[in-house]
Amino acid sequence: MTAQQWSALVPELVLCAGGIVILLLDAFLPGLRRAWTPAALATTGAAGWAAWERLPYGSSFDGLLEASPITLGFSLVVLVATALALLASDGYLRRERILAGEYHALLLWCAAGLLLMLRATELLTLFLALETLSLCLYALAAYHRRLEIGTEGAIKYFLMGAFVSAFVLFGLALLYGETGTTRLEGIAAAVQAAQGPSLVASLGFLLLLAGFGFKMSVVPFHAWSPDTYQGAPSPFVGFLSVAPKVASALVLFRILQAAVAGGDDAKWAELVSLLAVLSMVAGNLLALVQRDIKRMLAYSGIAHMGYLLLALVTLDRPSLAPVLVYLLAYALMNAGAFTVVALLYARPGEQHLIAELSGWGYRFPLLGACLTVSMLSLAGLPPTVGFLGKYLVFLNAVGDGFVGLAVVGVLASLVGVVYYLRVVYVLYMKPETRQPEGLLLDGWGRAAAVLAALATLVLGLWPSGLIEWTLQATLPR
Amino acid sequence: MNAELLFGSTLTRLVFFPAAACLPLLFIPRQSQKAVKWYTLVVSLVELAFAIDLAARADWGARVLRDLAAGGEPIAWVPRFGIAYDLRMDGISTPLALLGVGLLPAVVLGSWRGIERHWRLFAAALFLLTTGVLGTLFAWDMFLFYVFWEVMLVPMYLLIGIWGGERRIYAAVKFFLFTMAGSLLMLVAILWMAWTYHGLTGTWSFAYADWLRLDLPLPAQLWLFGAFALAFAIKAPMFPLHTWLPDAHVEAPTGGSVLLAGILLKLGTYGFLRFALPLFPAASRELQPLIVGLALVGILYGALVAWVQVDMKKLVAYSSIAHLGFVMLGLAAADLLAWQGALLQMVNHGLSTGALFLLVGMLYDRRHTKQFADFGGLAKVMPLFAFFLVFSALASVGLPALNGFVGEFLILAGTYRALGWPAVAAAFGVVLAAVYLFKMLDRTLWGPLEREENRGLPDLTPREVAALLPLCALMLWIGVAPRFFIDPSKPALEETLAAYRARAAAPAPDEPALREPVQAVQEAAR
Repeated sequence: MTAQQWSALVPELVLCAGGIVILLLDAFLPGLRRAWTPAALATTGAAGWAAWERLPYGSSFDGLLEASPITLGFSLVVLVATALALLASDGYLRRERILAGEYHALLLWCAAGLLLMLRATELLTLFLALETLSLCLYALAAYHRRLEIGTEGAIKYFLMGAFVSAFVLFGLALLYGETGTTRLEGIAAAVQAAQGPSLVASLGFLLLLAGFGFKMSVVPFHAWSPDTYQGAPSPFVGFLSVAPKVASALVLFRILQAAVAGGDDAKWAELVSLLAVLSMVAGNLLALVQRDIKRMLAYSGIAHMGYLLLALVTLDRPSLAPVLVYLLAYALMNAGAFTVVALLYARPGEQHLIAELSGWGYRFPLLGACLTVSMLSLAGLPPTVGFLGKYLVFLNAVGDGFVGLAVVGVLASLVGVVYYLRVVYVLYMKPETRQPEGLLLDGWGRAAAVLAALATLVLGLWPSGLIEWTLQATLPR
Repeated sequence: MNAELLFGSTLTRLVFFPAAACLPLLFIPRQSQKAVKWYTLVVSLVELAFAIDLAARADWGARVLRDLAAGGEPIAWVPRFGIAYDLRMDGISTPLALLGVGLLPAVVLGSWRGIERHWRLFAAALFLLTTGVLGTLFAWDMFLFYVFWEVMLVPMYLLIGIWGGERRIYAAVKFFLFTMAGSLLMLVAILWMAWTYHGLTGTWSFAYADWLRLDLPLPAQLWLFGAFALAFAIKAPMFPLHTWLPDAHVEAPTGGSVLLAGILLKLGTYGFLRFALPLFPAASRELQPLIVGLALVGILYGALVAWVQVDMKKLVAYSSIAHLGFVMLGLAAADLLAWQGALLQMVNHGLSTGALFLLVGMLYDRRHTKQFADFGGLAKVMPLFAFFLVFSALASVGLPALNGFVGEFLILAGTYRALGWPAVAAAFGVVLAAVYLFKMLDRTLWGPLEREENRGLPDLTPREVAALLPLCALMLWIGVAPRFFIDPSKPALEETLAAYRARAAAPAPDEPALREPVQAVQEAAR
């Protein structure tokens, strides 16, 4: 490999190396455990800096990877989610007495896989990145190994994930068989030449769609997420519920773009809007009946991916800007919510009933306020970044003539308001039902919650810089 | 964004001073409830001073008064989408803003005893609500307007949900969902308008003055008017979208009820006057019979239902539906007299209903009941209370020389001039108002003092009198010298009405088009 090729991999290399170093140090100097969180954070920061400063735009490895402002934007969202998850994890791991370097290493490798996934322009590279990511995710989902429920959720996730890998691989094979190439560019060219995908190629696209729809937990590929979220370590769920979706959204966009290269995009638009409507409606309605806050957030995540898909109904590049803003918003507010959940529920093996938070808004004013901000942002109320994301997505949908879809979207989010507000009223309007026992409210965790909540508000109040940056990044050059 | 322009601006100061006043609350210790109460009172008085100062210095001959110190230029907020931070005041919004700010000290004084827990959060909710209300009134940019409109929701939700009565959570959630349902559809309509403007001009703008130039085909206008009107009709509330109101009022604490009736409901009717009618003239003209009909039903239905209530607070709540029906009738009539009356009646209703809710709250603080059956003959033991209750009720009924009379008379006269018979039907509402309010006086104040518990009831304290006296003084002042209050709004109402009539008379185009700016619009844009 030439020096130039090495330099095209700097962020991923930093992440992988950081993980390996932490893992080795953990084996030989376990006494330094408390230093892994700052070390992993520094690694994440370095990767972000490398992606921002050191990564030349353009394609590398003979066109297998690309780097562009778009991939940079999505990468930064992934790294923000990673950093917030790391911050939230330290206290949780210490409280559960499972603090070890593997956790940090696996999380960093997940991020590396995600960054590769974002940059892959060829399907086999994409598949390898996906597998790197998935294996780390399975391990992390089962990380709290004393918990039966965690193992159960992780096995479900693993089994479903294995099917999905097979789907993706099969879809990839079909596309290769039909078009003779695994590069997305080549596939798009072949589809264009044939004036639309053939039946076999369409099947290939559909399989890929299903695969990444699974990672995004879009209805009807969503069944794994509530169980997995419930059993997995809460701070890690803040990552699991965001980062893989960030990467999958961009991949989905690329795949769909290749699929509509033939010019006939009506069928695909219908398919995507169907998935969007199903996710919005089913996600919100199912979240409504949840009593466990993690399951509620799982279904709410499904609904949010539905809103996100609204922006992808038309596959023009301007629709990437709302997607990116929405994903950043979702990363911040979801991380904020899961951080507070991780801090305030001390028994990870049991249900995390929303009612258990009764009256705690007064006992823990800071964390209560952070959770409230996250909930209001998830509900899409101004002046939060969650509103900004919804505004951009709906603006995009209305501008493309899908007023009906936008109306379905706002009505679905009205349902969402009910269950997000339930958390707020439990926090402030119910008398306390339990004493805090065994909680560990560490500085890292508080910092994660406050940072996420502050960013949610600040970006909602001063959105201009963010909007300008994303639009610049996603404008066709 | 220029910091000096932003913070030196008088309207910005008025809108954001309450929100900024939340920060020092964090440094007042939780235990010193008394300090929090006094702090809240001082902040609300300072805010009132700001508002009066602003209104006194304004030049009421001009149609729209720009945010004075900001040099009149909107500050770019999200330049990419043409979204601006643009606050302006005119003769329509300022009286309502004064009302909202003026009720604040009364709310604080009226909640002194009734609110027992979490005073810091209570103060923060009041302050944020005030910021939301004022921002909604002064916003001259549709996006900004929407943001402020939604900002009002959460503080009110907390006010009802934390300090409310037994079914408070049900009432709070119902309030939130009803309002949110309307405003979300309005959001889609706003986005649609923004795209239409973008399609016509190639540039983004959310500026109200720019949107006034949009000339839309009738079907589009009907949809958009529907979405806007739904949001405003829920807020107002118009029959049949009023069902959240009695629940919210009955469960809300006194302060919450006063603000809800006093100013939040007015934002619905203000929305009709400012946005729904001028932006969609053809559609609103088309639907005028429907609005008039619903307003009439609201007047009569509200009055009849108020009549049969056995709970004082519910009676006042239903009377609000009737009173807001009057306002809607005046707005739908599209006549200068009726509009002047409607605007004045919004203020009147805020004063008299605010005072009535305060009085009910004071009684509730003493007896922990609001049922008529528990009272009777109170005039003997609480003469001051009786005086204020009679005074406010008479103002609400529309006794000449008090404020309610002026407003209702103007509305009825204007409506008769413009529409004819609906004014006659509405006049029955005035009679019914007398019936139900006298029923309230009769059941509480007069008759024998039968209940033993009521014998020892203490009369109003100086603090409670301090809360009520300014409101009653204003009722009298408006009733005796209404021109002082009506004239400043006249230029704004006249020009809005002239532009509205001209547009409603012209046929709607087949394709969206951009109108030449009318005189009034130019004025507003300048």
